[in-house]
Amino acid sequence: MIHLRDVQKSYSRGDQTVLACAVDRLDIESGEQVALIGRSGTGKTTVLHILAGILRPDRGEIEVAGARLDKLGEAARDSHRGHNIGMVYQTFNLLQPFTALENVLMGALFGCGAGGDAKERATALLEKVGLAERMHHRPSELSVGQVQRVAICRALINDPLLVLMDEPLGNQDKATGGQVLDMMLQIASDDNKTVVMVTHDPESAERMQRTVDLATLRGDLAGAQQ
Amino acid sequence: MKLISISLRNLRIRLVATVLTMMSIIVATALYAAILVMAEQTEARYEGSIGGFQAIAGPNGTSELELVLNTIFNVGEASGRIPLEVCDHLRKSRGRMFRRGQVRYAIPQARGDSISRFNFPVVATIDEMFSKFEWRREPLRFAAGGPFEYSWDQLVELANGLAAHENGTRAEVDVIPDRPLLQEEWRKAVVGSRVARSLSLKLGDVVTPIHGKVGEFGTHPHPEAACAIVGILEPTNSPIDSTIYLPIGIHLLIDGHGSGVFIDKLIPGKSPVQLESMPVDPMRIALTAVIADPLDHMGSQILRKQFGSHDEAQVAWPQDVVPKFLRQIGNAADALAVIAWLVLLVAAVSITVAIYNTMNERRREIAIMRSLGARRFQILAIITGEATLLSFFGAVLGLVACHTAQYFMRGTVEDLTGVYLDWTIFKMWELWLVLGVSGIGAIAGLAPAVKGSMTQVADNLAQNY
Repeated sequence: MIHLRDVQKSYSRGDQTVLACAVDRLDIESGEQVALIGRSGTGKTTVLHILAGILRPDRGEIEVAGARLDKLGEAARDSHRGHNIGMVYQTFNLLQPFTALENVLMGALFGCGAGGDAKERATALLEKVGLAERMHHRPSELSVGQVQRVAICRALINDPLLVLMDEPLGNQDKATGGQVLDMMLQIASDDNKTVVMVTHDPESAERMQRTVDLATLRGDLAGAQQ
Repeated sequence: MKLISISLRNLRIRLVATVLTMMSIIVATALYAAILVMAEQTEARYEGSIGGFQAIAGPNGTSELELVLNTIFNVGEASGRIPLEVCDHLRKSRGRMFRRGQVRYAIPQARGDSISRFNFPVVATIDEMFSKFEWRREPLRFAAGGPFEYSWDQLVELANGLAAHENGTRAEVDVIPDRPLLQEEWRKAVVGSRVARSLSLKLGDVVTPIHGKVGEFGTHPHPEAACAIVGILEPTNSPIDSTIYLPIGIHLLIDGHGSGVFIDKLIPGKSPVQLESMPVDPMRIALTAVIADPLDHMGSQILRKQFGSHDEAQVAWPQDVVPKFLRQIGNAADALAVIAWLVLLVAAVSITVAIYNTMNERRREIAIMRSLGARRFQILAIITGEATLLSFFGAVLGLVACHTAQYFMRGTVEDLTGVYLDWTIFKMWELWLVLGVSGIGAIAGLAPAVKGSMTQVADNLAQNY
């Protein structure tokens, strides 16, 4: 499902170049649920953005869901992301003017399309996570846990092969968030979806099948930061 | 859900800014549409209204345009008078001036009075106005009732009676013939459809002419000339609809008109005072115009030639005068249209500025959509869509405003210009105007749309607002 080889991404800060992340090798098989952990600044989110195709690495090979992202142009990566990848952010990133249902449908709009049975799928997902009564509410009218569930539904609306999560419990209490995360992992497991979660929270990482410390992936590049 | 839903929602959540920006589009569109409507309906009105008025004989010393505007379109005042003999010659088609029959009809008209605060003009004439005069090659039709009866022969008889009385008075003879009396059977009026509608008049109602127009100096009513309505004309969408027709005999016998109904013929070597003591000819009864319809091209050529050297009257040809007049109006309309386009340009710039200013606060929202798989062109489409929708709704509301203004101002505009604004007419150009304004809006939205589509996804997702 995911194969990274010799991937490196750096940023310019004035006259300095900052190495954001470096991965010698990373392989994640289809259906695996993997936590990428590391201290703050180790490039967890950068790796996630590279896997999503939002960022293009300076070098290296990236194969995600059968596509060589390093060889694709921006529009193709956007399309690949819309069709094959679902994303859940730490802040959930729902659009405030839109209702829960509309937020979920927006995932379909930019993915497999919001026509046809998209509305039925979105409704079914929201009902599945217990938001049948709240689907016409806006994010500001929902609790943090409910917002998290809407974000999960949005990530799953296109039936993606891969779900990427960025600190999904970062903004809420562990008990409620943990339950929702378990629900998410269960749905992904039922549908044999691959889940990659970046987190610095060991408790969240323990819920995954495998944990990968980003520091161990940097190999001989670990000291390349200039 | 579609991209357009997102555009619409974005407009809605910035409602105040949307409405304010839209106002400029509404004003520009309404202004442009109003100019076009006025120019178009003026043209239609003036070109359509000349049917039936093939030639108008009126006094020398006034412009042909003035003569046509006053006689056909009820605009302005009659600026002079012509003697009845001009009409008589035309009707007889003989005499020194005319060597062959050249008109189908020649109908005398006398103006100067009006009715109601709307100043509907009173036209004193004879019954041939309803039997021989042709409006677009058909006689005037009655929606209710029928014409009054007052013939040419009655007019001539009255003119003879008035002349006899006037000559007796001037000669200071012992027995002055009585001045003819206003006959009760003449007290009948025919009104146009708009007069009837505006004043809620029906058959049998009485209308009282007012000398001059309401609000003018010297205005006074003529209760002695009050007439019962015997006929209401069908609408013609012309100034005929706003006219009241009375028998010309009433006009000539109204109190105060007295000797003023005659025009003294100028005689070299005689002063005006001397002329006032000389006998008058019955055919010197004063008219304001004569409507004539030449038989054929030859007839019109003869009229042109003979009236070209007439010492008291001239003939105006509405078919020549009106197009020249419309060209002048057209030039003014073009100038106003340029102003309207400039307003529209300013409105387009305001769209650009309004949406551009929201781009900074919308970076995260755009980044979220991009992270969900939105391509740059989709972001471009959403933002351009906002500008297009804003312009589209502005244009539609502008047209609605234009038609609403037509509805409420149609009476005033008609009184002022003689042009009736039909607010129910929608033209194909209005659709093109909406599309054009929407297109301009789309172009105005391009700059902010490009800025929005260039939003850096990773950088803006990382921001935690």
